Amino acid sequence: MRYRSLERLTIIFSWLTGLLLLSAVCLLLGYLFIKGYQSVNLTLVFGDASPLRAILLQERVFNGLFPAIVGTLVLVLLSVFWAIPIGMATGIYLAEYANPRTKRVLDAFFDVLSGIPSIVIGLFGFAFAVFLHKHYSDRIGPCLLISSIALSFLVLPYIIRTTQASLEGIPRETRLTALALGATKFQNIFLVLIPRSLTGIMSGIILAIGRCAEDTAVIMLTGAVASTGLPRSIFAQYEALPFYIYYISSQYADRAELMQGYGASIILILLCAALFSVAYGIRKGLTHFALYRP
Amino acid sequence: MKKLSIISLALIVSVLLACSPAFSDSLAPFKSEKGLLKISGGTAHIPVMKEAAQQIMMANPEIQISIAGGGSGVGIKQVGEGLVDIGNSGRKATDEEIGRHQLKLYQWAIDGVAPVVNPQNKVKELSQSQLMDIFSGKLNNWKQLGGADRNINIYTRDEASGTRAVFWKKGLKKGPISSGAHVVVSNGAMKSAIAQDPYGIGYVSVGHIDEMVAPVALDGVVPTIQTVQDGTYKVARGLYSNTKGEPTGLTKKFIDFLYTDEGKKIIEKRGFIPAQ
Amino acid sequence: MKRYRELIAERAFLLSALTSSAITVAILAFMVFMGLPLLKQGGLYQLLFKPWAPFQGSFGIYPMIIGTGAISLLSLLFAFPLSLGCSFLIGSIAPQSVSKWFRRLIELMTGIPTVIYGFVGVFLLVPIVRELFGSGSGLCILTAALVLGIMITPTMTLFFCDSFDRIPKAYLDAADALGASPVQKLLYVILPAAKHGMINGVILSLGRAVGDTLIALMLAGNSVRVAESVLEPARTLTAHIALVIAADYESPEFRSIFACGVVLYLFTMAVTFLVRYLTFSKDQTV
Repeated sequence: MRYRSLERLTIIFSWLTGLLLLSAVCLLLGYLFIKGYQSVNLTLVFGDASPLRAILLQERVFNGLFPAIVGTLVLVLLSVFWAIPIGMATGIYLAEYANPRTKRVLDAFFDVLSGIPSIVIGLFGFAFAVFLHKHYSDRIGPCLLISSIALSFLVLPYIIRTTQASLEGIPRETRLTALALGATKFQNIFLVLIPRSLTGIMSGIILAIGRCAEDTAVIMLTGAVASTGLPRSIFAQYEALPFYIYYISSQYADRAELMQGYGASIILILLCAALFSVAYGIRKGLTHFALYRP
Repeated sequence: MKKLSIISLALIVSVLLACSPAFSDSLAPFKSEKGLLKISGGTAHIPVMKEAAQQIMMANPEIQISIAGGGSGVGIKQVGEGLVDIGNSGRKATDEEIGRHQLKLYQWAIDGVAPVVNPQNKVKELSQSQLMDIFSGKLNNWKQLGGADRNINIYTRDEASGTRAVFWKKGLKKGPISSGAHVVVSNGAMKSAIAQDPYGIGYVSVGHIDEMVAPVALDGVVPTIQTVQDGTYKVARGLYSNTKGEPTGLTKKFIDFLYTDEGKKIIEKRGFIPAQ
Repeated sequence: MKRYRELIAERAFLLSALTSSAITVAILAFMVFMGLPLLKQGGLYQLLFKPWAPFQGSFGIYPMIIGTGAISLLSLLFAFPLSLGCSFLIGSIAPQSVSKWFRRLIELMTGIPTVIYGFVGVFLLVPIVRELFGSGSGLCILTAALVLGIMITPTMTLFFCDSFDRIPKAYLDAADALGASPVQKLLYVILPAAKHGMINGVILSLGRAVGDTLIALMLAGNSVRVAESVLEPARTLTAHIALVIAADYESPEFRSIFACGVVLYLFTMAVTFLVRYLTFSKDQTV
């Protein structure tokens, strides 16, 4: 009988917690959307500028989120661009080349890397930029390049891990077929194993993209600023959506600016969702393309 | 009637004609410039910097100006290290800082630092000793000052802040600030923190005071830009832009712009007194 | 020619692997290198056990260590039961269709940007906490821990679900054969078998809570005194780094944030190796 009531209690408890979490999320998103939906419009993004001219870079946007959105997109693309080759190569090495002992040691390194708080990586990036500035070139300071490199450190473990896991998950038969037919190890990896594990690898890249788009701690130390306009070069400072939200939440000047913060939050959430769905779209296309390569 | 409208039209045109040369005069030097100008430091300066930057960038799309905060300490240090072109500070750089980084100081406005509370708070007047007791933590309930029966939430700035340095020196006579105080990172952040906390007290640049926060009269003097100007409100300071060595090119033109009529208009509009 | 290419490829992969691991080491080395002068001057003792009062020449990070501990442990206290219940729901209690849907939702939740949690916290939760308890500003340990708890719940739930999934099917089949209900299976088969994995999940979630910057920075009030109650403000190590980065580069203030970095890094290492050790010892026993 005692056990029976424990079981019933467990069921009630589980449903309650599920409901609690669900309502917390609904509260979070609901609050944001109800308070902010009115501010989401073209003026929020483009300010007083004409949208078309702004997108064609013919007109500057001053009171809108356009520079921040572009900044975030460029940042994400750059970071992922650095992280993908080295991350995938490392994943391949771990899965296909490393002997068990090397693997254990390297695994430990990447476990640590994935656990390092983002602010510490940001601090590293900042200190590194100052170091470069002092000893090498006056042109380098906290900037888009430094931010994207620091962010790529942050997301490297995602790409390494997913590449490694999806390669290791390939069954032996598939693994051996091409080799038995006389393919070299390298050919086997590139023509058989990687196409087979693209789905897994892409899921890691998606995760990485999401992480880059939302991270604030790294960029606030490595070059994101409150106001600068569109980034002109990778050595320039830039605006970014998450940093803008943080900035507004702590120092809005008036109600209008606060509403822009709500709008920016909604856009960031939508942007994250859009990035994810685009990445899912690419994943399908890529898998097909790679699988049916002549 | 027709005549009147023609006259008024002529008037408007002549006024416009009279104004526009002044406008383009202020911005004219930027015509031949292009490139990147980096500004950081003092957070009291940001509204003026932003508006000046916007006007310059509108007039000449080849120029890009980036503005970051951080506080006066950061501004002075970053310009000294060459990380930015202009480092703003809400306090005068110390002789040691000037010497070490070969700083050139440009004071373009006069400002004050005022204690502020939430507009809902009934306490709108304090003596300097009461203020010191509040910030040291000796007075910890608004009831002791005739307000609501709630604890006083103290807000202060980080150590790099020039506003903090000035307020501490002149407002608190170098008295202690409780370590239990909330810490915010800019004048803007102080303003929104106090606007949100009905039981908070903090301090901001006088130029930043608007209907979101209420200034507290200190020994009977309400801190406004007038009382700062006529010298009755004592916690006053200058707003500085600092450069490493003699400024050149775009940097020089930007600083010069702050001293033009157009620049002075922006400074006044943002609540400061343009320096003579 | 073919062999040559093989060799180059292998070398390139090895080089990437070495580069990636070098990053891990380089970050620590840089932190230690930058923080070292302070350690030499003031000693470890002063750094770890003194308060933060730069104007009095004291650069200890003791209050931040306490703040980090208080906020992250309290958030774990909120997140643990929540995650436990949610993972039960997904693992066996809810019907298949609901559990699938719920799991996807929780996976999506891990993608909500941290800064959004902070933003909503500032404008929604802070006034509620202030008025509910009638003391303080609402920017306090409790608020930060609540939001942080909500933020790490999805991660922890997914860790739990993973460790449920890893239970050998034979165990479950045996329980089914004996006619166990889903709850019985959960309580008497899955839970005991998944204990190790769940401990790992809790430790990793603690790591995430300690490493988060934005929520504490935006919601905890950032005061430098050791708080006496959960309604008082506090500062975490991560928020401290974000706040003091402002100070100048050669000052002891700036050096001390590298000490914060080292502490956070060592904590990460401790978490990682603890988890690895637990996983390893579990592998030995099973």
